[in-house]
Amino acid sequence: MGSIEFRGVSKRYGNGMDALADVSVRIPAGSMTFLTGHSGAGKSTFLRLLLQLERPSQGAIEVNGVDVARLPERALPDYRRHLGAVFQDHHLLANRTVYDNVALPLRVGGMREREAARRVRAALSRVGLLEKERTLPSALSTGEQQRVGIARAVVNRPKILLADEPTGNLDPELSRDIMALFQQFQQVGTTVIVASHDRELINALGSRIIELSRGHLLRDLAGVADLAAPNGGESHRGA
Amino acid sequence: MGANRTVARSRALPWPRASRSPFAWWRDHWRDARESLSFITEHLSTSLLVWLLIGIALALPAGLYLLQRNLAVADDEWQGRVGLSVYFTLDATPEQIEAGVRLARESRLVADVNSIDPATALREFESFAGLANALELLDDNPLPHSLKLSLVGFADLLDLQELAERFEGAAGVDLVVVEKHWLERLAALTTLVKRLGLLIGVLFAVGAVLVTAASVRLAIEARLDELRVQKLVGASPAFLRRPFLYFGILYGLGGALLALMVLSLALVALEGPLVRLLESYGGDLKVAGFDPSFLAGVLLLGALLGLFGALLASRSRLDAIEIV
Repeated sequence: MGSIEFRGVSKRYGNGMDALADVSVRIPAGSMTFLTGHSGAGKSTFLRLLLQLERPSQGAIEVNGVDVARLPERALPDYRRHLGAVFQDHHLLANRTVYDNVALPLRVGGMREREAARRVRAALSRVGLLEKERTLPSALSTGEQQRVGIARAVVNRPKILLADEPTGNLDPELSRDIMALFQQFQQVGTTVIVASHDRELINALGSRIIELSRGHLLRDLAGVADLAAPNGGESHRGA
Repeated sequence: MGANRTVARSRALPWPRASRSPFAWWRDHWRDARESLSFITEHLSTSLLVWLLIGIALALPAGLYLLQRNLAVADDEWQGRVGLSVYFTLDATPEQIEAGVRLARESRLVADVNSIDPATALREFESFAGLANALELLDDNPLPHSLKLSLVGFADLLDLQELAERFEGAAGVDLVVVEKHWLERLAALTTLVKRLGLLIGVLFAVGAVLVTAASVRLAIEARLDELRVQKLVGASPAFLRRPFLYFGILYGLGGALLALMVLSLALVALEGPLVRLLESYGGDLKVAGFDPSFLAGVLLLGALLGLFGALLASRSRLDAIEIV
């Protein structure tokens, strides 16, 4: 569970701009992958297409063997509950407590209160914010807000975790903490994809790096773990 | 081929569908209803304005319905009491009068026949008109023999007309008086009020729906950030829509309550003069229709109109929300 494959995926907007152009990549389940590139390279579009916030203009996006680009609109809520997403600006609800923000995906899924409470506390404990469960997001630091966003993304135990510039507003030390959290989730079998332009941070982690430039796949560098595999180090390039 | 494969796979997707427990379903409904009520009370001045608009929109057609219902009751009462007066010529023979009485008794429309001879008529005339002294000056009784016919309750205007024509053709009959003008006017007025009520009802119902839709739309805009996040984490359209349906129902119910209050005040102000007016036409009528079924009907109608307005607003707006 958690394998992803982009096959010849393009996304063209109404103004004729190609946000992604014929991108083909395969991301195995349980791996950690970084998407990198300059602003406008197509990193966010890659994640938005994976979340099905937008439909591709062309190509197939297979998640666990299902072409999610062809899922009917009514099937998307169930699909999205299978994913976790973290954003640079957190998207926390300002008028809800930390607990309520993290519990939101479970509420949406109709989980029983007792089980939901157990999971929320486990997720908050994982990101080190259990003691702040009754606090409003505005009373938290930027790093803490980001960790609440991560707790919300993982509370549903998703098989795929997506993060779009999750360390964009954080200092280097906090950024490393956040990345360490993502690595922990990857180590328990979650497929993690992080879009970031922080090359220094990415290089330090030694994971697979997919570099995009103006919507095209520029480089696909295997990570240290991938190189250790029998057929490791294989690079993919868009056709 | 590809489409077929997708359809086949979508039947068994590798991620589980949400399986909501019934308890969670009730819990979420209760929470949404509570939060909607709390939102409405927090924005009380706006909510009062919405309730007032819906209340006025409901009060007028509901008032016309009450008026129509009371006119119909009055119509029924008068239909039951209406009758024919058959006046014979002064030289009508007892046989002709007897034939007239027989004709009346054989009719299925006649409930009762009262035969009034000239002497009795004269005594009644004297007592009613207070003209005893004047009548003493007359040598002969100028009043003819007459029949007062009371009709059965189900007799309508056409029956009355037909019966009158039969008496007009009978020998010795001078004049047949049908007391139908009031009935015709009342029937026409009832029909007019009914149609006017229907027309205004439809127009104002559309108005109430639009007011609710606009208010719910504002509530959606106020909670756009929350809705985006809910959609991102996999909320279904029904989940997103639910709080706003409660908004609509609460707006509609509040409006209906206000409409009933306005009607109550109007009835308190109008009941006295209306009853006196009806009594002046020989009726002992009371204002009908402002009963528990009417109250429940107005509340239900308000809730339904609110719900419909909320559905209208939420369906179009929620579908168009861009998540991030």
